[in-house]
Amino acid sequence: MRDFLKRHQIPLLITLLVLVIALVYSANLRKKTTTTLFERAVLTLTEPLQQGIDRTGASINGFWNNYLWLVDTRQQNIMTMKSNRDLRARLLAVEEIRLENQRLKKLLDFVEADPRKVLPALVVAEDASSWARTIIIDKGLRHGVSEGEPVVVAEGVVGRIIKVASNSSRVLLVTDASSSIAGLVQRTRTRGVVRGNGKELDLDFALRKDLVEENDLIVTSGMGGVFPKGLVIGRVDAVQRNAFGLFQQIRLAPVVDFSRLEEVLVLMDSAE
Amino acid sequence: MKGLFYSLLCGLIFMLFQTTIFPRFLPPEMRPNLLLILVIYLGLSESFLRAAFLTLLLGALQDVFCGSTFGLYATVQLAVFLLIRLFSDRLNVESRRLLLGLIATCTILQTVLLGFTLTTFAEAGPVLWVLLSDLPLQIFFNLLSGWLLLVFLLRVQPLLGNRQGMAGLAYQSKHHGA
Repeated sequence: MRDFLKRHQIPLLITLLVLVIALVYSANLRKKTTTTLFERAVLTLTEPLQQGIDRTGASINGFWNNYLWLVDTRQQNIMTMKSNRDLRARLLAVEEIRLENQRLKKLLDFVEADPRKVLPALVVAEDASSWARTIIIDKGLRHGVSEGEPVVVAEGVVGRIIKVASNSSRVLLVTDASSSIAGLVQRTRTRGVVRGNGKELDLDFALRKDLVEENDLIVTSGMGGVFPKGLVIGRVDAVQRNAFGLFQQIRLAPVVDFSRLEEVLVLMDSAE
Repeated sequence: MKGLFYSLLCGLIFMLFQTTIFPRFLPPEMRPNLLLILVIYLGLSESFLRAAFLTLLLGALQDVFCGSTFGLYATVQLAVFLLIRLFSDRLNVESRRLLLGLIATCTILQTVLLGFTLTTFAEAGPVLWVLLSDLPLQIFFNLLSGWLLLVFLLRVQPLLGNRQGMAGLAYQSKHHGA
């Protein structure tokens, strides 16, 4: 036995090593939102470096855009002023609706559905691979962030927290291939599961009999307990309805521009 | 010990490049995998145990910043390293073209292993399609960064002093034999 072990020392060591690592991976599959000590240590160690690089990059970028690259500034200024006038007019109408809504809610003794605390955070880094879609933000355990909390921007849903270190957290974006959220079509109330495909989103399990059209808005349904109800996820880009089958294939365009994410909001657990 | 520290430091710098600098200029599919290049380099130049240990650490480091499951890159990088090691004594590491060919082959190999691990152990959605559609660009950008790193290494090598068995880099240097 000892002879056998001695003779096949290297192949046995390799097999053992691969098996152990595969087992570690397999065990971690069941607890994706648990941050290991190693992950926490590396994230804590690299966070100041990432933040430093990010800030330097942002300063250089800002200097370039604000003082040097001003080619189309005048044109943009004219367009902004025009859209500002339009928006002011629209805002007046919206304000009227808001006040009316407030009065009606009071009448119905409406209780705010989501009294969560909102924590603003800066995006300091992105995923190191080409296929996964995650970002790193500059808020962590110290700021009360915990795994599973939703992350949003003004336009809509960004993703959810999957790993937390003391001063930083990792967010799984909705466009990641392993992400799925319970959603519904705002207009028709058709339910489905919004899944990421790396670049865009798909709405799966939407019944074929429900008429979904291009540009329909998809919002979170509140099922699953991670995302509060009514957050915008995306707009219908294309619908494919076959002559048979239970479901239709719906392709969505996310409302959030993930290539330009800089600040996000973490919706913290109401218990905190 | 010094070599171990330098390799880890190099891995950390590469990781910072991949997570903070590249995303400013490049879309995800165009970001090169610098740690893969480092693993290839280790597989060709370091002793077996040291390189295996470093590959594991670098894989774990990559896991902290990639995807959602810890252990994926540790498994894949180790498998890539073992396969390189299997053929390393039959390769002419003095050839620059062969080193670049190895980078292209290992990029394909890594994609296959990632796809296999992701789909075998878990229901990973359309990740296989994402991996395959990004592959041509990944190969190109890994080759480009491999070539740039090689040029850079050959320039700085005389300043650091040649080490033995550095993946044939010592032989490729203009200063070799000088």
